[in-house]
Order: sequence, then C-alpha cells, then structure tokens
Amino acid sequence: MAKQRNIAIYGKGGIGKSTTSSNISAALSELGLKVMQIGCDPKSDSTNTLRGGRFIPTVLDSLRSGKRVETSDIIHEGFNGVLCVEAGGPEPGVGCAGRGIITAIELLRQRKVFEEFKPDVVIYDVLGDVVCGGFGIPIREGVAEQVYTVSSSDFMAIYAANNLFKGIKKYANSGGALFSGIIANSTNLPIQREIIEDFAASTKTTIAEYVPRSLTVTKSELQGKTVIEGAPESEQADVYRVLAKKILSNQDRYVPAPLDTDQLKDWAESWSDKLLEVRDSPSHVKCELECIVPGAEPIVAKPRSQRIPVAKVTAPRKTAKAKG
Amino acid sequence: MTKDQTPHLVNAEIHLGDATCPNREERAHGINVYYGKASELLRDARSGNLKQVDRKFQQTSGCTLNFYLTVRVNTIRDAAIVYHAPVGCSCPSLGYRELFQHIPTSMGMPENYDLHWLTTSMNEKDMVYGSTDKLKATVLEAQRRYDPKAIFILTSCASGIIGEDIEGAVNEIQPQVRARIVPIHCEGIRSRLVQTGYDAFWHAVLKYLVKKPQKKQKDLVNVASMLSYTWQDRLEIKRLLGKMGLRVNYVPEFASVEQFEQLSEAAVTAPLCPTYTDYLSRGLEQEYGVPFFMYPSPMGFSGTDGWLREIGKYTGKEKEAEAVIAEEHRKWDPKLKAIQEEFLHIKPNGEKVEVLGALGQGRLLAQVPYFDELGVKSSAAMCQDYDNLIIDELEKVIQQVGDFDILVNTFQAAEQTHINRILDPDMTLTCPFQGSAYKRLKGVTRVHALRGDPNLWAQQSAYAGAVAYGNFLLQAFKSKSLQQTMKEKTADNYKAWYFEQDNPLYFRDNDEPVVS
Repeated sequence: MAKQRNIAIYGKGGIGKSTTSSNISAALSELGLKVMQIGCDPKSDSTNTLRGGRFIPTVLDSLRSGKRVETSDIIHEGFNGVLCVEAGGPEPGVGCAGRGIITAIELLRQRKVFEEFKPDVVIYDVLGDVVCGGFGIPIREGVAEQVYTVSSSDFMAIYAANNLFKGIKKYANSGGALFSGIIANSTNLPIQREIIEDFAASTKTTIAEYVPRSLTVTKSELQGKTVIEGAPESEQADVYRVLAKKILSNQDRYVPAPLDTDQLKDWAESWSDKLLEVRDSPSHVKCELECIVPGAEPIVAKPRSQRIPVAKVTAPRKTAKAKG
Repeated sequence: MTKDQTPHLVNAEIHLGDATCPNREERAHGINVYYGKASELLRDARSGNLKQVDRKFQQTSGCTLNFYLTVRVNTIRDAAIVYHAPVGCSCPSLGYRELFQHIPTSMGMPENYDLHWLTTSMNEKDMVYGSTDKLKATVLEAQRRYDPKAIFILTSCASGIIGEDIEGAVNEIQPQVRARIVPIHCEGIRSRLVQTGYDAFWHAVLKYLVKKPQKKQKDLVNVASMLSYTWQDRLEIKRLLGKMGLRVNYVPEFASVEQFEQLSEAAVTAPLCPTYTDYLSRGLEQEYGVPFFMYPSPMGFSGTDGWLREIGKYTGKEKEAEAVIAEEHRKWDPKLKAIQEEFLHIKPNGEKVEVLGALGQGRLLAQVPYFDELGVKSSAAMCQDYDNLIIDELEKVIQQVGDFDILVNTFQAAEQTHINRILDPDMTLTCPFQGSAYKRLKGVTRVHALRGDPNLWAQQSAYAGAVAYGNFLLQAFKSKSLQQTMKEKTADNYKAWYFEQDNPLYFRDNDEPVVS
C-alpha cells in the first residue's frame, strides 16, 4: 500500500472549506480509497454532509465524558465508507478551542487510529485563520504534509490565506507541512479569478482548481449530502472529482511567500479601483446574479452620474514630527 | 502627604470599577533589568526613557502569584483561599509552614491556626471547555467546609489565557455564599514585576472587602507589612505605637477579615515599605479619605524618628511621638554608638567597611541611609525592581548618600554573583528569597530576616531593630569559617568567561523592548 497521504485544508470560516473537504473525501472514496476526514473546528460540522446531515460525537466530547475513549466512540463511518472524525471544542465564548485541537489530535495519535484504520488519505479540515498555536497543529511536524487553502476572492478570505502562509513558512524549516495550492472557491466571474490569480502570483503560490459557486451544492447540502452523493451526475460533482484527482496526483510542496501587512494592504488597494469599475458595470451584475440564481432579475446599479458623490477618503499623510 | 504630581511617570488614580489594577509596568514604568549608576537610572526614569527589556538568558524568578502573595493570603484568619489554577500553582501555600511554624503562640501567633486551601486543579479538559463551573463548585465547597468570612480566589496563567469569566462566576454565586468572595487577578503572565501581584491583591481588598466606615477610629493606624519584617518587628512597632496611645491595624498577615473591613476607619495608613503599601494607601485615601504617607519607613534611627512624627501628625499625637522618640533614643543611642565604634575599627586603616545588599526598591530607600548611620559604606545596591513610585525619594537618597551603582534584577543569581565579583565588597548581604548562593572569601550574610523568624536578634525595624541588625552585621564580619570552608570545598558556579565580561547584564537583550 502507498504511504498514507495527510492533507490539511484551511480556509476562513464560511468560505466553503467543509463543503470542499467533504466533496473531495467523497470523490476520493469513489476511487476506491479509504479516506478519513478530521474536522478541526469547534463548530463540529465538517463531516455532516458525509453523514446525512447529522452531527457525530466529537473527540473532545468523548474525552469530557470521563470514560475511557474507544476509537468506536470517535470514528464514524459516513458516505461510501469515509471515516468521519470531529475534534470538537468548547461552547462559543468559553475555554480554548485551540487547546482543544491539540488535545484531540494528540488523543488520535495515542489511540493509534491511523495504524488501526490505515486510511489511504487523511484530510484535516481546519478553521483557517490560524489564530493561535492550536490551529497551527495540523501544519506542524508529523501531522499533515500538504496544505491547501480554500479561498474566494474576498479580501478577508485572502487575508486568512495569507495568515496560513505565514504559519506554513514558520514551521517549514522544522519539518512542518508545505503548501500545495489554493482552491479558488466561488470564482464565477473573470475578475474574481483575476484577483485570486494575482494574489497567488504575489505570494508565489499556485491555484489547485477553480470551483464555481453552484446551487447544486446548496440543494445537496440541504438534503445533508455532498454533491457527489446528492447530485452525482451534476457538473459540480465533476468539478470536485477533477479536484480530488488533482490533489491525489499533486506532489508539489513548497514554501509560500506571504505578504507582510503593508504589502497586503497595498495589494488590496490596488484592486479597489478596478472593483469599483466592475461594480458600476450593469453587465457584470447581471452575469453574477445569473450565475448564482439563474433567471433572477438583476438589480442594476445607478449610473455613476446619478449617485451621490462620496468624498474620497485617503489615509492621512505621515508628517515628520519635530524633534524635541 | 507625598503625592505624585507627574502623571506621565505614575498613573496614580485607582479604578475600583475595573476587575483589577494595571500592572506595574503600565502604572509606574516598572522595570527589572538595569545596571548603571543610580543617577543614570533616575535620569532615564525622569525623561521617560526607562524600558523593560528581555534577557537572552534568565534564571528562575518569582511570579505575581507565587512570590509570596499566596503565603500572605493564606494567613488571613477566618478566610479560605481558592486557587483557580492547575494544582502546581498552589504549592507555594506550603511555604506557610516553612515561614510561620516556628512562631510560638505566646508571641501572638494565632492558636490552632488552620490552612484553608483549595484548588480547582485545572486540567486539560478545563482548559478546552472552560471551568467556571468547577470554580463555583470549589467556592461552594470552601463555604461548606470552613464557613469563612471571606473566600479569596487567586487566578493563574491558565485561567487568564482562556479568559475565564471570574467576575461573572463571582456575581452568580455570591448570593448563595455567606462569605465575601474576593477574586484576585494575579495571573503570572500579566507582569514581570512581582509587585503587580500585591497591587492586584490590594485592588481586590479595596473593591470587595473594605467597608464604608461606621465610625472613624482616631487611634487606629493601618500598617501593611511586607514579608521581610519579622515577628519581632511586628511586636516592636506595636509597642512603640502603643506608647503613643495608638493601635496598629496590621494587614495582611494573620489579620482577620474584620480588620480589612475597617481599613477605611483608620486615622492614617503608614508604610513599612512604600511601594508595597502604595496601592492600598492611595485607594483608601481616594475612596474613604484615609490619609497616608509614603516615607520614611521605620528603619534606622532617623527613619524611625520621621515615621513616628508623621504618624503623630495624622493622629494628633505629636507630643507623644516626641516623648517616645526621646525615650527610645536615650535607651538605644549608646548601643548604636558602640556599634559605630566597632565598625570604625574593622579595617585597620580606618576606612569604612563596604557592603553590597540585595534589596527590594522600598527597602533600598530606607536601608542605604541606615547603613550610613551604622558607619558602613554602601557604594552599590542590588534591587529587585524599580518603578517611578519611588522616583522622588531615590533622588533624595542620592543627594543624601551620594551616587551608587545599581543592579536591578529579580532573583538573578548569576548577575548578583558577577557584580559581587567585580565590586568585591567586604560583605555581601543577600535576600533570603533571592536564591543567591555566593561563594566568596569575604563575608556573606543576609540583608534581612523573614516574617517567620521570631528571634530577638532577627529584629530589624525601629530603634531596637537597627541595633539588633547592626550587631548581627558585626557578627558576620567576625565569623568567617563558613565562607572559608565553602571557598575551599566547592567549585565556582559560573564559568570564568562570564566574570570577564564587564557588565553583569551581559545577557540583556538590547534589541527587543517588550514594554515601551
């Protein structure tokens, strides 16, 4: 058997990383691979669409119960034999979610679940702002080898991706995971692709795949299913199948070149004018709406001449302070 | 009354609406890494250039929780203490036995004194999920077991990092608990300066324990004492103030909860250590109009004279103070003279002997002039920390005794060994807590004893203490066999190259200011 592949997929909350992860897991399972998906987010809903929309008991919940934790308590079989695990975490506003990830992954290792289940691929689905050491655990030595990030062209998603790059760079020299590509999500418009491609170029990273926004995903998820399960014949399912195969064959691993805070700000500003032009263009609005809701009436923005002028806000110039 | 008029140097106002105090770094630009002339330190402090920096190498140190905040809170009678912490953080409570077990009850040590000590024993699960439920259960258990008047909660790094809602838990559970719950925010990570722990303690005392005055007690003097005042000092100060017709309200050690409640009723808050007492003194004045003074401390003859006069002023006992001062001088002056005489003759050429002492910053201000009184020279000092609370007084000391070298560090034994090697004083005076085991041919002894030492010769406060410590120091000059044996039988702790560096702060990290 080939060596177990350990892949971490990071992304800002709500960006679609669990959707992407679950569809990749499902697509990989179709190829006859044994896949384990580990949700590393206190929300604990990473694997829901692999399990008919149902939550599973989390590793931390089992630990909290005080009884000895058996692997059967924390590993649950989902669609097509995908092994589903949720690290779990505290209620919002209390405790320490980061420490929770550390504890959960440590427990999985102690219980030797990887030796016991021998998965071909392990996918860590991780909340992606990498705000503390706990969320950095999957990219540290001995957990995942390859990291992907799910990002849209939204600035905040890109900010999270950039943070992830910083984390990867930090651990790169001590045996940590390396980067393998950006999964560009909800990229329907040319400009969205342009933005994310420009970000990739600026950070010396690559795009693994473009995933368009699709109603098929929403419909399937409402049934508690991945697209692979819920709409196997759909175009979107094929998008995920292609992505899964690419991930399987992609052995590229490299250290990204994250932008520092000022660089990131300059980069974002360079796009703002362009975006304003796009927003003012009725054809773009129509196109975007149609991509999301086919047949919907576009809300056409007023031409620039009819809008109330807004004073352009510029950052105050730094003035040199007199000494003394 | 001493009041700091320089808000950019000291943030004097106390906000009892807040959960806790600012740290000393924030409140008074505190530092614990410095080496230079005292005049340079003063100049840097005045110009706002003092910066707390890191060390590239650091030996063990204290934290705001465990540097003897715990043993003090432990001694408060009719109270219980709850650590919201992993179990190890509570082990300084054991110091209670080490420090106080030798004090006989005949000297006023409370009989059948029990240690009421609980911990939430935070573990992995508690870190992940939060453990205010456990904290509430522990407080309830403290109430059930001991039925105390107050329950102190001491927080820890662990509870602080995960942002436990201590105040929320206290507010929720207080209606079910008869004891007053007093949460103290002494998370070790808050500050490099152990003094922050004391401020946090006083903040909690002011916020939760002190009551509005029922009636003012004109003969009551608040005295907050630090650990380096011995049991005999306590008795001596009680005796002196007693002769003036005054009563001492000693906090925190072995105080009852009621004593804390009536801090607001006292005539004045007097210092033993100005920077230890500072937060309490300011708070009592701000909230209840209890006046305070910061200097002098009752150490050495002139220090004690000044201290008694200040108290006399606030209590309307000026005459009584003068009478006590005169009477005590009659008794003790000849004894001080005899000591001075002996010190004069230690060195054959008539030079003064040179001592190098490790001191808290408050003690530094009092002790350097006291050495001067003894006829002992102290051309350098090792100080645990420095902050702007003492800025004016430091200036006075420099004017009074001249400039001196100052090494500011908290328990850094290597740095202290280094400065001792360089300056080579005739006698090194170590703080019993400084962890500094020196090996040197010239003498080593302690700069002060601890609260738990009940012996008469361990006295160091007021006139009797000035004489007792003078004699103690003389004794150290006469007895050298321990040093000789140590020097012969043991190897150096540090390698020769370190001593070849011209600065004990060789490991100062010059690049990274951590607090601006």
